[in-house]
Amino acid sequence: MRNLRVLKVWRDVRLHGARTALVIVAIAIGIAGAGSVLDTWALLRRVTVEGFLGTNPPSATLRMDAVTAPVLAAVRAMPELRAAESRRTVMGTVTSDSTARTAMLFVSADIATHTIGRVAGDSGTWPPPDRAFVIEHSSANFANVHPGGTVSLRLGEGAPLMLPVTGMARDGTLPPGWMEHVVYGFVTPATIVALGGDSTPNELRIVVREHADDRDAIRRVAARVRVVAEGAGARVRDVVVPVPGRHEHQAQMDSLLYTQGAFGLLLLLLSGFLVVNLVTGMLAGQQREIGIMKTLGASPEQLTVMYLGLSLGLGLVACIVAIPLAAVIGRAYAQFSASMLNFEVGATPIPRWSFAVQLVAGALLPVLAALVPVRRGCAVSVSESLRDTGLGSAPATAAGRLFGASGLARPLLLSLRNAFRKRERMVLTLLTLATGGAVFLGALNLRASIRDSVSTLYEDELRYQLSVRFEQRHEGAALVALAMSEPGVEHAEAWSGARAAVVGDDSLPRSAFVVTALPADTRLVSFPASAGRWLAASDSEGMVVTPRLLEDEPALQLGARVQLLIAGKARTWRVVGIVGAGPSAGAYVTRGALARATGDSSAGAVALRLTPMSAAAQADFIQRIRARYEAANLLVSSTNLVQAGRGALEDHLLMVASFLGLMSQLMIIVGGLGLASTMSLGVLERTREIGVLRAIGARHGAILTMIQVEGLVVTLLGWALAIPLSLPMSVILERAFARIMFEVPVTLVPDAFGVVAWLGVVLVVSFVACLWPALRAMRITTAAALAYE
Amino acid sequence: MTAAAPQPLITLRDAVRTFPTAAGTFTALDGVSLSIARGAFAVVIGQSGSGKSTLLSLLSGVDRPTRGDVVVGDTAVHALPERAITAWRGRNVGIVFQFFQLLPTLTAAENVMLPMDFCDRWPGAERRARAMVLLDRLGVADQADKLPATLSGGQQQRVAIARALANDPAVLLADEPTGNLDSKTAVQILDLFAALAREGQTVVMVTHDMAARNRATHTIALADGKVADDDHGRSHA
Ligand SMILES: Nc1ncnc2c1ncn2[C@@H]1O[C@H](COP(=O)(O)OP(=O)(O)OP(=O)(O)O)[C@@H](O)[C@H]1O
Ligand SMILES: [Mg+2]
Repeated sequence: MRNLRVLKVWRDVRLHGARTALVIVAIAIGIAGAGSVLDTWALLRRVTVEGFLGTNPPSATLRMDAVTAPVLAAVRAMPELRAAESRRTVMGTVTSDSTARTAMLFVSADIATHTIGRVAGDSGTWPPPDRAFVIEHSSANFANVHPGGTVSLRLGEGAPLMLPVTGMARDGTLPPGWMEHVVYGFVTPATIVALGGDSTPNELRIVVREHADDRDAIRRVAARVRVVAEGAGARVRDVVVPVPGRHEHQAQMDSLLYTQGAFGLLLLLLSGFLVVNLVTGMLAGQQREIGIMKTLGASPEQLTVMYLGLSLGLGLVACIVAIPLAAVIGRAYAQFSASMLNFEVGATPIPRWSFAVQLVAGALLPVLAALVPVRRGCAVSVSESLRDTGLGSAPATAAGRLFGASGLARPLLLSLRNAFRKRERMVLTLLTLATGGAVFLGALNLRASIRDSVSTLYEDELRYQLSVRFEQRHEGAALVALAMSEPGVEHAEAWSGARAAVVGDDSLPRSAFVVTALPADTRLVSFPASAGRWLAASDSEGMVVTPRLLEDEPALQLGARVQLLIAGKARTWRVVGIVGAGPSAGAYVTRGALARATGDSSAGAVALRLTPMSAAAQADFIQRIRARYEAANLLVSSTNLVQAGRGALEDHLLMVASFLGLMSQLMIIVGGLGLASTMSLGVLERTREIGVLRAIGARHGAILTMIQVEGLVVTLLGWALAIPLSLPMSVILERAFARIMFEVPVTLVPDAFGVVAWLGVVLVVSFVACLWPALRAMRITTAAALAYE
Repeated sequence: MTAAAPQPLITLRDAVRTFPTAAGTFTALDGVSLSIARGAFAVVIGQSGSGKSTLLSLLSGVDRPTRGDVVVGDTAVHALPERAITAWRGRNVGIVFQFFQLLPTLTAAENVMLPMDFCDRWPGAERRARAMVLLDRLGVADQADKLPATLSGGQQQRVAIARALANDPAVLLADEPTGNLDSKTAVQILDLFAALAREGQTVVMVTHDMAARNRATHTIALADGKVADDDHGRSHA
């Protein structure tokens, strides 16, 4: 420590250890908060983009009856294509834990050498051996199928086979199985044959050679592939051209990250406020010394460098704590978010640039925050800084005010006056607390909204408990009649479904979506229409769509007349309503309308409303109804309990609210630290005044009360201010959430619990933040106070 | 009044300093003209509020006259831009305060070295040696490595004077330097100033101390912001 100026700054820092620590903590919180968001973002980008592109995702997928060797050869000869591969995708039924679930099986003899949509072995065997099952990672937990276990697998009406689960693999192109309620699995063609199925490939996946990131260009190539394939004898059922280079859920992920990023920045800004406060206070304490140094020939530049250098040093120290902390939080959160997209963060390193950005931000934040106060402090004229600042208002008057009047009003007034003596400082503290509170209340509102909409979805909108799918389509009335004769069924409806694709003006192939057909007067679902209306019996060409579908197919606007290709027939439909139907994408039509469009009036599923019963009774019921149907030769492919998805959905949605809650807690801590620093600076500045109060007989209690009431006044103002602020905050959060997940009802009025909880938080913050300043104030003796210069 | 000294180092011409106050403009210095010779030991006396500290502030460039000229050596202090004043002051003026004003977190020696550091006088390696010479000169070399809070008032004031001399300034300004000291210590400080002046240092000191007048070579009396008496008479005792 050769340099005298560095030495002075260093000794000052040690002298004011607590305040210095506070500055470091303030910066560290800001950097840790914003840094963890940045790390999450950087990791997820790396994992999802690299992970997704690393699978070499298909540009397009053509589903056909059979991709025979001549078809594949003809397509592979096309110069527009970089690669073409085939596999079989077949639906089946997986039973584990005596629950039958829909399975999607991927079948290929050479799956391990496929280059399009590469699947990576995760654990156990890869590729799957004959007569064995390899589970896809994202389905393992929800279906409770893990390597080492066994599953019962059945195709259509074939006999089930017990298969060992020999491994787990990961397909980064699939939307997560737990979200889709599908068990993805990999088996060999021999296994399919053993199950009585056909192992001919039915899916052709292609990668285009040029304009791989232009969806329309890919559509044009896909259309030519279709012509070529049909020329070679294939029958193409549909063509899926996803948004190139983007995982199906990437947009959701981006919205989530941007929203979180905004809050990370807000937190950084708030901790910047705190640093401004602290540095201003620090410089106020140094004003006299700055004046002396100026009389000794110190130039404003020299002083500025000293104090900005100090700020820089504090920022760097804060980074030492904050950056590793941010890495830990960021990694954990990235892991969670990645699992939503079916990616694994694992040991992927956080990109170095993220650390670099945090280091620069951590170093610059205090320097920027200190810039104005330092320049101002160093510009004060010598005569001004040497003049005894008199420590605020005349102590005698203050004493008079404190002791001259009885009752609570006077001390309260004094506290208010004291609290706002340094107005800027208090206003910043107040705003920080209020912002933290607004986010806190907003996050609670969002949580309530999510709970509401999930329970609305599962209790009001989906008014059935069980759906049963059949291997074949049957006459609806027969399916319903059998169900109604089973005790425990309150109401049953036969539903059917089909895949549909919009026929555009350019007649290029579009992605297919699911159309569910149900009775016009269905009593088993009740979706509120956000625009237009629900289906009517007379709707021979009317359909309603979900907002998620509208996002992917903007042609399906309310009132639009569109050509839909269903079961190979193009027909005009009209969008009569848009209904919020949870997070799923799809459309609804009446069974009558679908029957007219396809010429087939049979149904493939029944939906059942059950009398109230326990979970165990529901499981028994499922066994019974299944047995009854199968006895009647109506083979069941899967049964789905509606509630089964609820927990996982709710947990994942609530994680978003929890993250915001965490952010708000950090903001409140920053606000509390701001209050603590403001209060202790106030005590320091009023040392003499407090000493005089002591001299004229003020007791410990009176001084303690004065400080605590002062803090309480500020926090209560923050409490009150947060309530109106939470209104726009809730709107912002809920809008953002709607973009990320699905429309939730906007809850504007914070619930009483939230307001009371926020009051409790505020009281605790106030008490804790004022404890140390109050103790310091109590330790001030008359002698010390009067010696204080 | 006697004739002016042959070689004035400090010259004030019609210096006026007014302050805006709530009750209107207050004139703290009202057309002060005077000159102080190189090597003089000048004391400024007058009642409280007569403008003594204001005068000293003008001399050090800490404050500027509302009107009039302040010339020290060949520098027109009143006309220097703020930036230049700081550098000029650091090299040419040493200031001693009533309340010592040592930096509390630096030791005595470090306090003395600080002006050399700011003005980049003397090579870094020589600064401590020079500080020790100054402290020794003032009889507090044994206190060099103590923090100010552990020194007595008299010791602190000696360290402050050593610090004021650090850059070998032409002028030493002191505002009631003995005001906070016991009379015996005060006399020692006066002796010191007198000795410095004899060696060629120009010393201007504000004081209420009658004894100081007897040691001074030049006495300036202020009353209500005007020069009431300007006595160049005495030579070094
Ligand atoms: N910044 C200022 N603003 C307003 N008035 C001022 C200011 N500085 C000094 N004064 C006034 O100018 C007058 C002279 O002040 P100055 O400090 O020079 O007096 P002084 O002779 O040093 O008194 P003392 O012996 O009490 O130190 C006083 O009446 C004082 O109130
Ligand atoms: Mg004075």
